Amino acid sequence: MNIALQTRPPALSDYYSETKCIWCDGCGNYGIWTAVKYALVELNLHPWQVCLCYDVGCNGNGSDKIEGYRFHGLHGRVIPFAAGAKLANMKLPVIAFGGDGATFSEGIGHLIHGVRSNYPITFVLHNNTNYGLTTGQASSLTPQGQPMNTSPNGIPERTLASMELIFSLNPTFVARGFSGDIKLMTRILKAAIQHRGFAFVEMLQACPTYNHFATHEYLLNKYFDASVDGHDPGNLQQAKALATQVQDRIACGILYQREDVPDFYSRLIPRQGLETTCVEEVRRYDVSEYWKELV
Amino acid sequence: MPRISLKIVGASGQGINSIGAIIAKGLKRSGYCVFGYREYPSLIKGGHASYQLDISNQSIRSTEAKVDVLVALNHHGLELNMEELKPGGIVLHVTPGWQFPEHHQKLIVERSLRVVYFPVDDILNRFGARAILSNVLLTAFVWSMLNQDVDVLKSLVGEKFAKKKALLELNMRCIDEGYSFVDPEQGRISVVLPPPDKGFAGHLLITGSQAMGLGAVHAGVRLYAGYPMTPSSPLLSFIAELENKTHMVVKQAEDEITAAQIVSGAMYMGTRALTATSGVGFDLMSETLSLNAMIENPTVFVLAQRPGPATGLPTWTAQGGLLQVTSCSAGEFTRCVIAVSNSQDAFDLMPVAFNLAEQFQISVIVLTDKQIAEALYTQLPYDLEKAEIDRGRLIVDPEKLKFLRSSDRFDPHAKGGVSLRWLPGSDAATYCAQGDEHNAVGAVDESSLNTRLQMEKRLRKFHGLKAGLPAPQLIIGGRSVTTADWMDVSDEIELLAIGWGSTGDVFQDVMCSAELRGRKIVYLHYTYLWPLRTQELQILAKRSKRIVLVEQNYQGQLGMLIRMGCGLDIPDKILKYDGRPFFYDELLSSVLEKWSDTSESRENSHDSELAGTPS
Repeated sequence: MNIALQTRPPALSDYYSETKCIWCDGCGNYGIWTAVKYALVELNLHPWQVCLCYDVGCNGNGSDKIEGYRFHGLHGRVIPFAAGAKLANMKLPVIAFGGDGATFSEGIGHLIHGVRSNYPITFVLHNNTNYGLTTGQASSLTPQGQPMNTSPNGIPERTLASMELIFSLNPTFVARGFSGDIKLMTRILKAAIQHRGFAFVEMLQACPTYNHFATHEYLLNKYFDASVDGHDPGNLQQAKALATQVQDRIACGILYQREDVPDFYSRLIPRQGLETTCVEEVRRYDVSEYWKELV
Repeated sequence: MPRISLKIVGASGQGINSIGAIIAKGLKRSGYCVFGYREYPSLIKGGHASYQLDISNQSIRSTEAKVDVLVALNHHGLELNMEELKPGGIVLHVTPGWQFPEHHQKLIVERSLRVVYFPVDDILNRFGARAILSNVLLTAFVWSMLNQDVDVLKSLVGEKFAKKKALLELNMRCIDEGYSFVDPEQGRISVVLPPPDKGFAGHLLITGSQAMGLGAVHAGVRLYAGYPMTPSSPLLSFIAELENKTHMVVKQAEDEITAAQIVSGAMYMGTRALTATSGVGFDLMSETLSLNAMIENPTVFVLAQRPGPATGLPTWTAQGGLLQVTSCSAGEFTRCVIAVSNSQDAFDLMPVAFNLAEQFQISVIVLTDKQIAEALYTQLPYDLEKAEIDRGRLIVDPEKLKFLRSSDRFDPHAKGGVSLRWLPGSDAATYCAQGDEHNAVGAVDESSLNTRLQMEKRLRKFHGLKAGLPAPQLIIGGRSVTTADWMDVSDEIELLAIGWGSTGDVFQDVMCSAELRGRKIVYLHYTYLWPLRTQELQILAKRSKRIVLVEQNYQGQLGMLIRMGCGLDIPDKILKYDGRPFFYDELLSSVLEKWSDTSESRENSHDSELAGTPS
């Protein structure tokens, strides 16, 4: 039996881009980039069926290294842009990517309200624990006291407890991957993209050029797949403990998920029962009904 | 044009607005054109506020500084607003035993004012009614003063309390009581209105914000995101109030940056989305303006102006945002700035703004101001067949989508700089909306050649945009005339006035005044402010003895853009920057002053010349 050309399932090569990768040798972005492509292909999504939104940073330099409808925006702003895109067309999966610099400094308000709003998008945090693209400054997730570019004595500020913050916002999906484990990241991303709500996915990644404290080897030795240990993502207390206690071992996998909380769009009373998207609804409207009270 | 002005003053939250709104609606239904103007401080309860109605049987779109009737709901009004009365004016107040200070007693005599005390507390006591009904009593008395049919008022109030029978009866009794009240000292007082024109009865009473909201819905806006800030908030409120009928997505964002980004994401995806803000809120949005320029994402932003700097005067009006929106944000790019002038084009310009945004894949900034946003207009119901929805070079046909290449999206050689656009989710070649300088497919490309080509592509749109924008509106004797027909006439113009935004309506009312009728005054009104079209102005300027710029800002910002655009310097200006709009009588005397200068200094009339141009 012949299969028509257009019905063939997506292949990894569909996501191939002519643009050469420009990340440093050993950069964790290669692994994340590969896992994203695997996840999309395994979810049977063609490049034209996805919207990938990139923040500014080394991760954002991946915006032209993959196919798909993509967007590369301003520092810290990717979450509201992606949310707007998704709310306009609920039929398209929207995945946003941002680094720890953008997400936990300039765009931290957007992150907080993104989780709180439970927008139906996936957010992938590229956590290399520093500002890579601006040549290695401390981010708010860099350990206090760690000497960095522009802070030779280490930064005076305390390190932001990112997972404590996330859990304080009543998230509906929290996962952690490691850029050295593509298979695990693929599994996480597939679940995140299918999640109906704001999926927060932290990817711990190596930055061989500027991060000399949480290296690939360091992460490799400490990370483990929590599902192998029998972790139940429905267990909030255990999830929070696994997410925040990372001194000895770093738990990865889907740490927390609840599916009983409606996402932002589902809570919009005016949209209930509508099959169409905002994109499909653009036309001239008769508004005379709305001015009756003004006569 | 006959005009009567009635000003209700009192504390914020005392019911000034509800009295004003009911009288306005009653008068409109009886065949009057009403223009409502609100002044209030930035607080919720207390503070001195006012609601003024200017009434005529002809089109009226301005407020007088001096009023015929003052209704004071508290004694502060008697202290603060007495000077605003015209000779022969009426003061209606509710303060028992009020003794006017000496200078006011003098004023009452000099201006032959009539003072009426309306004993609202006594009547309430007699009825055993709560204080809230004092507004109905007072409204009914004002209604009788205006010689209006009591049934019109009853039917209006009846609509409000249709479902609450007990309240309805009490309200009707109050109407009868208030309506039949006669001041024992003054006798029956009446304000003579001109004969009504029933044509107004079917009009809408609408604020500029409501007009803009209806225009946005009409234009196909399906998502609105905003952050509350006066005077843009009434638009957000109005859109939100309608959401269950329009089924739009409405999002109150966590800040203006978020609102701008949400709207940009939604437009990128392919719907029509809108946001509005004021003052410094627009500063927060401006980085997103630059982003949209780079990714060639059509977007529309509304800036409802108020006086600055900083938070300035939150609840007052200004036209100080023109230079802000024409020049803010990083990089050089094509943008379009248009300004609404009243409730008519607050509606009409919304589809226009979205069409321009999509035709040129640029950001369009729509300026309004507090005066337009909150003024109450008597508005002919809108023509719902006029607007087109033009989405420019958007490709949606599946057959055409198949043939697209990624490099079509940002093709630097596209005609007029406007390349093909197709939406995420289309079964077609994909691209990247790239915030870094990029090549035709949206891949980062910092090469010299590409940078030049892409800059030229984005800036080339400016010429097409400018060439297609309508000419400024030419108004002679208060009536709009066809610019092209009129340009060839070689009449000398005594006074050429130039303005934009909410200034226009006041100036047109002024031109209709008895004092200026028949004089050779021409008013050129700009709606499309950037790119700025100056060819008509340059021709008119050569024929004009005197040119005067009329703006509500300190610097004469349109004048600065005109000089930048064509070298014409306009030193003569009528400027206002105190948070108040131009008032009819005030602007009239300013124009008369300029007029007499013109007559006196015929010899020196060439101080406005084209500077720096070979002509």
